[in-house]
Amino acid sequence: MKRRTFMAGAACASLAAPAIAAAPGARVLKFIPQADLAVLDPIWTTAYVTRNHGFLVFDTLYGQDDQYKAQPQMVDGATTGDDGKRWTLKLRDRLKFHDGSPVLARDCVASIQRWGKRDAFGGALMAVTDELSAADDRTIVFRLKKPFALLPDALGKTGSNICAIMPERLAKTDAFTQVTEMVGSGPFRFLGDERVPGSHFAYARFDGYKPRESGTASFTAGPKVANFDRVEWTVIPDSATAAGALQSGEVDWWENPPGDLLPLLRRGGKLKVVVQDPTGYLGYMRPNFLYPPFDNKAFRRALMPAINQADFMTAAAGSDPALSHTGIGAFCPTSPMATDAGMSVLNGPHDLDRVREAVRASGYQGEKVALLAATDFPIINAIANVGADLLKKCGVNVDYQAVDWGTVVQRRAKKDPPDKGGWNVFFTYWTGLDNFNPAVDLALRANGAGGGSWFGWPDMPKLEELRNAWFEAPDLATQKRICDQIQQDVFDEVPFYPLGQLYQPTAYNTNLEGILNGFVLFWNVKAVA
Amino acid sequence: MLAYILRRVLQTIPVMAFVALFVFSLLYIAPGDPAAIIAGDQATPADIARIHAQLGLDRPFLVRFADWAWRVLHGDLGVSIFTNLPVSHMIAQRIEPTLSLMILTMILSIVIAVPMGVLAAWKQGTLIDRAVMLNAVIGFSVPVFVIGYVLAYIFALQLEWLPVQGFTSISQGFWPFLRTLILPAVTLGGIYIALIARITRATMLEVLSQDYVRTARAKGLGQNSVLFLHALKNAAVPIATVIGLGVALLIGGAVVTETVFAIPGLGRLTVDAILRRDYPVIQGVVLLFSFAFVLVNLLVDLTYTFFDPRIRY
Repeated sequence: MKRRTFMAGAACASLAAPAIAAAPGARVLKFIPQADLAVLDPIWTTAYVTRNHGFLVFDTLYGQDDQYKAQPQMVDGATTGDDGKRWTLKLRDRLKFHDGSPVLARDCVASIQRWGKRDAFGGALMAVTDELSAADDRTIVFRLKKPFALLPDALGKTGSNICAIMPERLAKTDAFTQVTEMVGSGPFRFLGDERVPGSHFAYARFDGYKPRESGTASFTAGPKVANFDRVEWTVIPDSATAAGALQSGEVDWWENPPGDLLPLLRRGGKLKVVVQDPTGYLGYMRPNFLYPPFDNKAFRRALMPAINQADFMTAAAGSDPALSHTGIGAFCPTSPMATDAGMSVLNGPHDLDRVREAVRASGYQGEKVALLAATDFPIINAIANVGADLLKKCGVNVDYQAVDWGTVVQRRAKKDPPDKGGWNVFFTYWTGLDNFNPAVDLALRANGAGGGSWFGWPDMPKLEELRNAWFEAPDLATQKRICDQIQQDVFDEVPFYPLGQLYQPTAYNTNLEGILNGFVLFWNVKAVA
Repeated sequence: MLAYILRRVLQTIPVMAFVALFVFSLLYIAPGDPAAIIAGDQATPADIARIHAQLGLDRPFLVRFADWAWRVLHGDLGVSIFTNLPVSHMIAQRIEPTLSLMILTMILSIVIAVPMGVLAAWKQGTLIDRAVMLNAVIGFSVPVFVIGYVLAYIFALQLEWLPVQGFTSISQGFWPFLRTLILPAVTLGGIYIALIARITRATMLEVLSQDYVRTARAKGLGQNSVLFLHALKNAAVPIATVIGLGVALLIGGAVVTETVFAIPGLGRLTVDAILRRDYPVIQGVVLLFSFAFVLVNLLVDLTYTFFDPRIRY
């Protein structure tokens, strides 16, 4: 091959390479996310990595402070009238989208409507909304069928899906179709021309962003001041490689290092390893109410005293007591809704002889239990293995099926009998924010196979009634009282088995300061010499 | 020769058609649903059903296959279910790292392995021969990821000579490009070097025992002439064959190497696509790999004519 021909070929090959262009001297924050950012639309998916990306690009009408209270963000202020059935939200002045267009009330209306079609909390809000309209360019008006005091909490929720505000032309996209452009009004612009799915994503500070002028940055509330010119996400699927990249200074921040690498990262004092999100993750074992033996309430209840959360959490998070928490009921312990009601069933002695006896007495006939274990997610794999072992010890005939997560999410959606491609039990874990209260906790939906329920399809009319009552509760004390009853109902009917709470620390270079509590957020953080 | 090339190129058409049908069928019967993965853990069954329908995954197998095949025939590999990007664009983004890694690995391997094999054959039974064979055994037996981690630990973390991960395009300079590829190429080359060195040694031993080599020596030719002009040239056909077949080994090894060194290549694209059930991407990449493999085999067959004038097509 001639040299010229080779050079021409090499030049052609490089044409397809992304245009990576950081200006000399630019302050760049290099970050390893928890997973690949395959989907960009935070309404189309509930993936946490997409939610985190969403907070870079999109702003929300309300934020949530680190006490988990809703605070105005894009909204300047709100007034209520008509006995709480009319909410008027006023947008802050001079808010702009990344394409330069102003943020108008009609953009917010379209965004809320799209979000309301996908999110459970949003759905609850839209269900009581008679009319949602833009009174003028800066005024959004909700006319409600009945008072909904949680409206700011819904619009400012931080668990997936977030109410991301986008231009009306994008927000008009069907809620089940991905938007084709990333135009938000958040503190960073998404650089689409640099996107290499599975590898590299970049964001530039949005110079047109106007942070709130007062208050202090706290979780997603307060002024969002971007101190870096660029944020670059590098997807590194191999954890040993990610650890090496962080140690060598090739990246500044790694979202979720696994527990076994933490001692290595702590060594040398160049890195900080901290639990930044006190809500952590809550593990669950989810039974299928449609088929034996989990269609039998006595069987489900018989197993509950066998659950020793410490076993599950040791397998998932290791033996460091700072990285897990037991004694977890239906709600995240950081939530004001967390309660001790009915906890004696979990906290009592885990007497397996008595459990075996109770299982037999429930009428269990030794039916096979198809247990789905996702082997490609270390935490899920760990809790599934402990769960399978425990069920066997309780005298349950376990049909252990080791599959990948892609298969679990397909199989669990099937309502077929377990021997025809269905299932009996699977395991997962959610962030504490998704177990914070009955509005956001999908595992508490219990209206059977008809619709609305999560996989497992529990049919628990009382739980649904309690959930509805919670939305209408006039104050925190009433909400808490209802949550006591919800938790007791959970232990009575067992729509899921809580397996404990684990924390996933984040690791970053010691020259970074100002990282906010909660999941990864890219404002307020800055590099110091 | 031209007629032969044409015939071989035409033969790739049914091969590619079979691969397309096979891969499509395999993905159809494999468990997993991209709609369920897209929707995420917090989605309801109703959400998943809506996305499933929106993506057209509820259409019959034959309709989906015909639709895809028709578009492929028009040069359109489709759009990724997840990223919404054309598959051809995603492949184009990833082809440079993989191609660079494979070419560098091949160059490195051939430059190292062929002289090693020749030397081992020439010095058969000596310490040199045993050392070469020991290297080959290590290359075969140590997993690629172990070699990768050890090299990264020594040369990136301890000595800080080279980066731990990543890839820099050649458009940003030759040295930055090469820096990111040295460790991956050495890692991936381990097994390839072992393979080529062993076959070179075995073939050379056979050739060196031939009458014409004895004749060459009797004529008073120097050692280098005997080894490289007479013996190696005659041993080249099986060596070239193994180099060609080894491309499949490289493709497989590239998946692991790209993961260990976080190189955004086709190997990682394939793994990510399989885990997500991103059908258009899997189908596109497998078609490309199959085509590349068929093409490499054709090129290997054509090189035979240069090494052995008796071969005619």
